[in-house]
Amino acid sequence: MSIQLIRQAFSGDRPPPKMWRSHELKEQYDVVIIGGGAHGLACAYYLAKEHGITNVAVLEKSYIGAGGSGRNTAIIRSNYLTPEGVRFYDESVKLYEQLSAELNFNVMFSQRGHLTLAHTDGGVNTMRRRAEVNQIEGVNSRLIFPDEIKSLCPYLDVSDHPRYPILAALYHPPGGIIRHDAVVWGYAHQADVRGIHIHQNTAVTGIEVQDGKATGVETTRGCIKTGTVLNATAGWASTITTMVGLQLPLITIPLQACVTEPLKPFLDVVVVSGSLHVYISQTDRGELVMGASVDPFSSYSMAGSLTFLEGIAGHVLELFPSLSHVRILRQWAGICEMPPDYSPIMGFTPVDGFLIDVGWGTYGFKASPIAGKTLAELIATGKTPTLIAPFRLSRFEENNLVGEKGAAAVGH
Amino acid sequence: MLLLTCPNCGDRNVSEFHFGGELSSRPKDPSALSDAEWANYLYMHNNVMDAQTEWWHHNAGCGLWFLADRHTQTNEVIKTYPYTKRDA
Amino acid sequence: MRTEQDTLTIMPNRLQAKQGEVIDRSTTIRFTFDGREYSAHPGDTVASALTAAGVKVLSRSFKYHRPRGLLCCAGHCPNCLVQIGDEPNVRACTRPVEAGMEVQAQNVWPSLKRDLLSLTELGSRFMPVGFYYKTFIRPQKLWPLYEHTLRHAAGLGEAHIDTPPGEFDKQYLHTDVVVAGGGPAGISAALTAAEAGAQVLLFDENPTLGGHLRFTIPLESPSSTEVSKDSPELLEAVNQQPNITVFTDTSVLGWYQDNWLCAVKGTRLLKIRTKSMVVATGAYEMPLIFDNNDLPGVMLGGAVQRLVHLFGVLPGKQVVIVTANEDGWDLAADLHSLGVNVAAIVDEREPNACASPYRDGLVNAGVPVFYRHIILEAIGSSAVRGVMIARLDEHSKISRVTTQSLQCDLIVTSIGWTPATELAYMAGGKSEYNSDRAEILPVSTPPGIYVVGRAAGIHVVDSQITEAQQAGSNAAAFAGFGEFDEAAAQSPGVIEPRRTSDRVCVPGNKKRFVCYCEDVTDQDVETAIAEGYDSIELLKRYSTISMGPCQGAMCSMNTIHLCARANGSTVQETGTTTARPPITPVTLGALAGQNMEPVQITPIHQWHLDHSADMMVAGLWLRPNHYGNPVAEALCVRNRVGLIDVSPLGKLQLTGPGVPELLERIYINQWRNLRAGRVRYGVMCNDEGVVLNDGVCAHLRDDTWYMTTTSTGATTVFEWLQWWLQSGWGEGVHLTDLTDNYSAFNVAGPQSRAVLEKLTDRNLANKAFPYMRIRSARIAGVLCRLLRIGFTGELSYEVHCPSGYAVHVWEALMDAGREFGIAPFGVEAQRILRLEKGHIIVGQDTDAMSDPLSANMAWAVKLDKPDFLGKPSLMRIFAEGPKQLLVGFKMVEPDVVPAEGLQIVVPEMDGQLEIIGWVTSSRFSPTLEEVIGLCWLPTEIASQNGTSFSIRMDGHIAEARVHHGAFYDPDGERLRM
Repeated sequence: MSIQLIRQAFSGDRPPPKMWRSHELKEQYDVVIIGGGAHGLACAYYLAKEHGITNVAVLEKSYIGAGGSGRNTAIIRSNYLTPEGVRFYDESVKLYEQLSAELNFNVMFSQRGHLTLAHTDGGVNTMRRRAEVNQIEGVNSRLIFPDEIKSLCPYLDVSDHPRYPILAALYHPPGGIIRHDAVVWGYAHQADVRGIHIHQNTAVTGIEVQDGKATGVETTRGCIKTGTVLNATAGWASTITTMVGLQLPLITIPLQACVTEPLKPFLDVVVVSGSLHVYISQTDRGELVMGASVDPFSSYSMAGSLTFLEGIAGHVLELFPSLSHVRILRQWAGICEMPPDYSPIMGFTPVDGFLIDVGWGTYGFKASPIAGKTLAELIATGKTPTLIAPFRLSRFEENNLVGEKGAAAVGH
Repeated sequence: MLLLTCPNCGDRNVSEFHFGGELSSRPKDPSALSDAEWANYLYMHNNVMDAQTEWWHHNAGCGLWFLADRHTQTNEVIKTYPYTKRDA
Repeated sequence: MRTEQDTLTIMPNRLQAKQGEVIDRSTTIRFTFDGREYSAHPGDTVASALTAAGVKVLSRSFKYHRPRGLLCCAGHCPNCLVQIGDEPNVRACTRPVEAGMEVQAQNVWPSLKRDLLSLTELGSRFMPVGFYYKTFIRPQKLWPLYEHTLRHAAGLGEAHIDTPPGEFDKQYLHTDVVVAGGGPAGISAALTAAEAGAQVLLFDENPTLGGHLRFTIPLESPSSTEVSKDSPELLEAVNQQPNITVFTDTSVLGWYQDNWLCAVKGTRLLKIRTKSMVVATGAYEMPLIFDNNDLPGVMLGGAVQRLVHLFGVLPGKQVVIVTANEDGWDLAADLHSLGVNVAAIVDEREPNACASPYRDGLVNAGVPVFYRHIILEAIGSSAVRGVMIARLDEHSKISRVTTQSLQCDLIVTSIGWTPATELAYMAGGKSEYNSDRAEILPVSTPPGIYVVGRAAGIHVVDSQITEAQQAGSNAAAFAGFGEFDEAAAQSPGVIEPRRTSDRVCVPGNKKRFVCYCEDVTDQDVETAIAEGYDSIELLKRYSTISMGPCQGAMCSMNTIHLCARANGSTVQETGTTTARPPITPVTLGALAGQNMEPVQITPIHQWHLDHSADMMVAGLWLRPNHYGNPVAEALCVRNRVGLIDVSPLGKLQLTGPGVPELLERIYINQWRNLRAGRVRYGVMCNDEGVVLNDGVCAHLRDDTWYMTTTSTGATTVFEWLQWWLQSGWGEGVHLTDLTDNYSAFNVAGPQSRAVLEKLTDRNLANKAFPYMRIRSARIAGVLCRLLRIGFTGELSYEVHCPSGYAVHVWEALMDAGREFGIAPFGVEAQRILRLEKGHIIVGQDTDAMSDPLSANMAWAVKLDKPDFLGKPSLMRIFAEGPKQLLVGFKMVEPDVVPAEGLQIVVPEMDGQLEIIGWVTSSRFSPTLEEVIGLCWLPTEIASQNGTSFSIRMDGHIAEARVHHGAFYDPDGERLRM
């Protein structure tokens, strides 16, 4: 039992402490972070904690965590294909493992294991390739076959009857799920404690650039002078970047998800199928959370479609034929900015002082701690940390793309 | 489900179509471009949250590639029309 | 001790039979609840039957496991969720009972009556909203244990592993007007629209139309309307109207873009495209928040009316009615007329504010009325035993000194409504808080969307009907039938107050539930807001309010009020959360429908199955992997002759003078110089220089070309070519997809010529028909295209025949080949054979980043062509030199096959391994009796023939050597035999 709870239990009518406060917009901040999601807030937190930079504003046009941070399916893993990807996400998993203690806020990271199913020979080879790369990089992953799959997940149909029989799976024990909103709130709280200003309901309307250098940010609540602006707006990244006259190699596409009514626990691992474009896990509350691949066309709309619901229901029943009576409670959508090589774009841009943390596609939330930490280091030192050097914007011009696109079509 | 008007076939469900991305054209003389200009053509997008002119293919129908002006925030299709060279 | 007979017949709460009820009293059926047998009449719901039998507790709550009983009786709240057989989370109040049904309480241990998990409530002081975020943090090692406990305490029903898949299907509907909701407003709108000539689909979630008229007496102005549950003119009119199709037991689940609606009727999903829509979905009755407001025996007014009028069930003997509007009085009059003991009416208003026509009658009959009183608490432990009420002072504050208790076993609250307007908001409608009405009402809707009845805040039946008629007329006009009445479309409608107080919560000192699904109290809401979760969306996410099975139907309006109050802002400023489909939870089975996973099979599919083929998935295709022994199949091709079905190959015909120019642009190789009758292998790239596809292309004659593509890339290439043709490169080219029209078989092996010669007059001699040529020929009487190509490395012919004759040609080839020892071979044998030749498979040996200069296809790249897709990118790679190459290798140990996907490594100083490449293909070659493969390696290693390198295998290192050129017949002599 935490002291905090005991105090709260006996505090009578005294209000509990505020997680974050409201502030007037200051005229000047050393760093302005656009986007109050997990990335922006993590970066703010690490700026303060590790570099002592606290004159920082996080600008959020809505409420914190309103975008992808609160709309993803909360899967954490590091079983990527490229060594660059594996190393980066492994650091992220390690930070996630310590995050509840670090933030003194239980983010409920449940490392229950992650299965990526392979339904074709080619799929099996890709899973083996990932398992091998993971093992060499020190990440716990291995290729397993139907008997072991069945023992980890008894409800899966591992017979050879389905349209896409399960041939093997990449088993990644450290992978799991987390309470995504808690990550946002935890970072926000600890950033607030360190003096960082979180401005909700504050939309950016323009960015001042003088002589190729970012000098200020215009918002719906007034203007701010600053020398460093970080664009951490994910799906909306292009709309912000265009304010400094740059284009990005991004296409914004909705990604949909849905959740069922709560059920007694029966699904102990995260299950992903690339061929069937589905990923599914059961939350601690008992709901099944499910998602698919991105929508078939670009959009900033978060309305969601029936086509998605029908498709995912069919695919889930292919994998779990006994769930036909389980009811879908709610569907929603987020928007993802997809880069050409399915790898993030982080760091400097041709506009001095305007930095980006974009290109997060369908794999951004799981990188929040490490993205925040490395970008904080980049902002504080002016040098790009080795871990994120492969993800620089200039790689497109240099023809040095990261090969993560070679992995399965579903990037969860 | 979104309805799209194929210039040949009329109103159809969007599931009959394949999205082809925002309108862009292959440079007339690629050899005259710098590496940066070529990379821009390959990778950069306007990706607007606004009306966008874009390619669609009626792949479950007549096979026509045509253009649509669609608002990317509401998905409202303003108009669809056949491609002509001056759209390039 | 009751006898079994007693158990079966006792329905102590059943009233005398009366008109309008939906049960058939002539028959009694039996079912069980938690193992105990109960009886019911056909027409009963599970909940009505249990209530008739006197059962009050139907479930336990999510967090504290408090006993819960019927609340809304309309399928909206979570209180009656039960497990029925394999089906979890069934709403007992709407599910018709069936003979032999096995109903179980959910989430209880060991039983519903004595649920030990309810002890958690003792610690509730330590479990405020979001408590789990604040605890179990240290020691971190124990978190998995805590989590295990939390998980097993959570969840509701069970998904059984052996549940059969069930049968589900879908129906597509197109219509002019959809009317969602079949109450008086919906029916009126439907009738008007239909009379104008529009086709109308009328949906209602109940078993019969009529809406609230089925269970309320039309009290407002009985004289001026002919409608009542006893006068079914409206229903009759609907039946008479041929333009209306009625779907009862059907819930509309959501509105999607361009008026695409989804509804569900049992196991069938309905997908509807409509031109306009009338939303007549009624309203949810709001619960009141007070101490112990979740006690079984506290019900909403509508629930009691449904039970009484539809099922003849009275859930209590002594009723206290808590109200602040005329609805409560209507209910009191209704119950009183049935002889029910109305113990008290507790009305928050001044006596003169009550305009009920029943007031004097009830007072004269001696029903106690407490004006300016409010409920403080429901008394009881697992069922209501009484109620505490208190007077409001002149400032509308609760005067605690006036507290008194009344005995009763049923508390009915009737304090107001939340319009069920989800459909309108999904469609883009805007809402505003109407403080006179204390309701959030739609103020604007997109063209073609209309809201009527209680959903629009209209409660008087007369007004409901006239407003709905106008909306129905406009909905028809919008769909093209009749004149559009602009004025009526903008008319706000007659709105009369149904609720005069915006009091939603009465403070006290016990638990008061805002959200029944998640056990969230008003204190929890206050705490969350104080902690900073002060916007409605943050509040929802932190407290999980409105995220449970009721999806906010019970709690959203109350939450908004509490949030507004705590923030010192208005309801309008606080706003609502986004309405998201499905409005009613819907099964995965209904959404999925029948299993419609598409599959592509060739005309030879049945033959393959009949010949014990092991089929494999290849994209959408099913193909024979082998017929029992792939190695023997491969050797048969090498030594005699084999036959493989390659019908999935993409086959495109291009005609016109512009074809050579097009081919020059889309392939990396040269085509202009390919004479008629010749075949060439070609590779396509995109402008990034990434290999898209490969295959052979034949110059048939003059302006006619025949292109083949990989099986899985066929549609992509077709679409890709269409794009280039239609966006500027199409002059003089006509493209036709022949993939399904032609089937293709490869007759491969040294005896292949001999086999074919038996079936054709065509001269197949090497001179007349050399390697890499195409000819037409009659094979077994069928005009075919023969391509002399050799993916397997042997003399071979690809026979392309019209698909209608495919089985005939295939069987003729097998018959003709018998004397030569022909055998069918599958994909696995082909993979061995092609690997022996060092041929790559696009998609296996290459991925979405591979370029042809690196992927062992440099010979095909003609960088001196003026322009082609990918050229600028390839020029750059050429100039910089590829960093990696795809190259052949042989294992040093003859019996070690490195699996595809294994990594090529070099040890680093610190004992770590550095990845330098990976294995894309590998097999034991039965011909060479060696292990061979293809892999990616750094250029400096790959370019030296014989260089050895290390493959990581099962944690060990295996040695391999770079091998340049084909492993088998490197000079291709066997192809040219």
